[in-house]
Amino acid sequence: MPDVYNWHLGRPMTYPYAEDHPQRQFVAVFNINRCIGCQTCTGSCKATWTFSRGQEYMWWNNVETKPYGSYPQHWDVKTLKLLDEAHQAAGVTASWDKSQADDQAAPYGVYNGLALTEASGPNEQVLGYLPAESEWRAPNFYEDTSTAYKGGAFGLSQDGAALPEHQAWFFYLMRICNHCTYPACLAACPRKAIYKREEDGIVLIDQERCRGYRKCVEACPYKKSMYRGTTQVSEKCVGCYPRVEGKDPLSDGVPMETRCMAVCPGKIRLNGLVDIAEDGSWIENPKHPLYFMVRMEQIALPLYPQFGTEPNIYYIPPRWAPRPYLRQMFGPGVDRAIERYTAPSRELLAVMQLFRTTQKMIFRYEIEEGPLVREVEVNGKGWQMYDDTVIGFDEKDREIVRLSVVEPLHERSTERPNSI
Amino acid sequence: MLTRNRLTLLMGLALAVAAVVFKTPLASSQGLTISVAYVTGELPVADPFSELWNQATAVEVPLSAQIIAKPIQPATNIKSVTTRALHNGEEIALMMEWADPTRDESVLRVEDFRDGAAVQFPLAESLPFYCMGQQGGDVNIWHWKADWQTAINARQELHDQFPNMYVDQYPFTEEGEDALTAAYTDIAYLTAQAAGNLMAADVHASPVENLVAGGFGSLTSQPLERQNVQGYGEWSDGVWRVIYSRSLASAESDDVSLAPQTVYSVAFAAWDGSNEERNGTKSTSQWVSLQLADFDAAAVSPAAEETPVAPFSLPGWLWLILLVLLSLLVGGSAFYYHLGTKRAL
Ligand code: SF4
Ligand code: SF4
Ligand code: SF4
Repeated sequence: MPDVYNWHLGRPMTYPYAEDHPQRQFVAVFNINRCIGCQTCTGSCKATWTFSRGQEYMWWNNVETKPYGSYPQHWDVKTLKLLDEAHQAAGVTASWDKSQADDQAAPYGVYNGLALTEASGPNEQVLGYLPAESEWRAPNFYEDTSTAYKGGAFGLSQDGAALPEHQAWFFYLMRICNHCTYPACLAACPRKAIYKREEDGIVLIDQERCRGYRKCVEACPYKKSMYRGTTQVSEKCVGCYPRVEGKDPLSDGVPMETRCMAVCPGKIRLNGLVDIAEDGSWIENPKHPLYFMVRMEQIALPLYPQFGTEPNIYYIPPRWAPRPYLRQMFGPGVDRAIERYTAPSRELLAVMQLFRTTQKMIFRYEIEEGPLVREVEVNGKGWQMYDDTVIGFDEKDREIVRLSVVEPLHERSTERPNSI
Repeated sequence: MLTRNRLTLLMGLALAVAAVVFKTPLASSQGLTISVAYVTGELPVADPFSELWNQATAVEVPLSAQIIAKPIQPATNIKSVTTRALHNGEEIALMMEWADPTRDESVLRVEDFRDGAAVQFPLAESLPFYCMGQQGGDVNIWHWKADWQTAINARQELHDQFPNMYVDQYPFTEEGEDALTAAYTDIAYLTAQAAGNLMAADVHASPVENLVAGGFGSLTSQPLERQNVQGYGEWSDGVWRVIYSRSLASAESDDVSLAPQTVYSVAFAAWDGSNEERNGTKSTSQWVSLQLADFDAAAVSPAAEETPVAPFSLPGWLWLILLVLLSLLVGGSAFYYHLGTKRAL
């Protein structure tokens, strides 16, 4: 098997195919801190793609409540367990060596454990399992169930809760297919019926070639390849590719954010395309909002990077959940990400205004500096807020959005307090 | 250093060599001949218990797990199939019979896999690889599916699997009809069907799919108008009996064309759905001879030789030494690979 370079792991990784990267990659940043769990994203995908016979249990977008919720049930715990067993069998301890971190080649350090393509044994391409139908049935089981306080009457806390980490906690984890750089689904398909598109890195299942073997369902650690019994083949999130291609009538011929991104009332999602070099690295582009947040500020992190698929949905981790849990989920970059998110740099604060303000994908931003409006202390350090203006540009470099950090305030005149 | 994959491949090859040379540990079917008896009149294409089958000699073909290409399930369930074949000068009928205590004929739920069986013919003169052929050595495959068979009488619908399900309506289906079964007015919403995938078809005229392949991963369904293989399968008391039938000759280049008084090669495969067997996780035979009798009924070949011809005539003790050496090679590679993984970390 050839080796490929996985920058999430900071090292080469075993994969059944040699490197061959798309020109651009579909990427998104999801800010967990802001999600209100409204499931509008989930509904929008269902209403667009999966309302037909045989797709009843299919939720290409789902939002689960961590730590107990998961769709399909316990998908992450089960995969982590398999991976742990493989490590034990090989006599290896999985750990991250942060001393070898390098901003470009290994931003989170070097992962010393086995990825799923390396832990699979001689008979399979990828370590995985096939969730049964009963596990897909209750996508919202454990909704809003938090961990409990220990002790106290009725399990109530005597001392209340305080940041940085609450004792009782939950957070929403919104998930779609990660359109992985090294898709496990693609690696496992014995028919090469899964492909990654040259133009945007979106991963699709060829509906003509698929024969319903469900090896992808078994292999995808995120369980985002799903089986449709009525057509006897598997289907998955298509990254709303007609919108990404700019074919939606509303898009004006330029790439548009997907349905689940564009509907988000919590304004937690920013979706775009980043330029990829021949060797798979991200071409430096500091004025691209996604490049800036993922590669420069590093506030958004891959979900379970240790699985080794190099997923392309990046998460800003929640401030209030226990760090060991978050480190297991998002890797060793968690502490730095939360620190930088909690007291954002002047530029980051401006860039974060861009979330969900236009349906068009933003390819470049500019900042016009404004006045200092606030000075406070955050985490024991002084922090300044400036009312800068951020301007977003589409693929054709036309201005599509302009926002200030301080939202303009409009006060009604006293004569008409109730008029619209 | 040898990577995991190269090693796996090497070990696979070593096992394949073992299979060919020792006829172990893989079950070997080389040297077997299935005689296709000539009978006059209609062939029993849908009757596994017809008297006519007594005219054909039963040949038991050993099967073993496919272990060359991933994914691999080394413990497949079906160890052999019993075959019988007849022709009437126009058509051939071939019966496969094997024990399977579980009857898997639905693939509606994600964890359900079908029972299945396949017959494979080489399309080239020289024999390609016995499992799926190889590049430049295409094979014609007739694949019988238990669920397609069942669907011919009564198609399994979602509500058979989920009796308590309820839906108001599925968009883009005929209005006014029962929502659970209403036909689609736009098949774009049955994506695979719209893409022309035979697996997604609403109805199948035959339980047998006619395919062509040229190596692992290349299996391709022939177009609908070239689905010319008929079939019939019946399960009773823990035994599947499946009959394939087709006209002897076919003008299609992706189809095998058969003629009386000629010897062909054929291979078999079978899947047990309960064991999650599908695609390459299956039991297969090696190439077996298929000898079509002449038109003259008197010319029916005598009972097939069931004792395979030994590849080399060496004394038994020499075989034993060779077997031990080979096990050492395989075991050693496995150990070396084990060390390699440790070192690589
Ligand atoms: S998330 Fe799963 S389905 Fe999506 S590309 Fe990655 S491995 Fe494939
Ligand atoms: S990108 Fe489109 S297809 Fe994928 S989950 Fe979101 S809405 Fe569904
Ligand atoms: S639409 Fe946005 S806020 Fe609502 S659940 Fe989805 S990601 Fe969260």
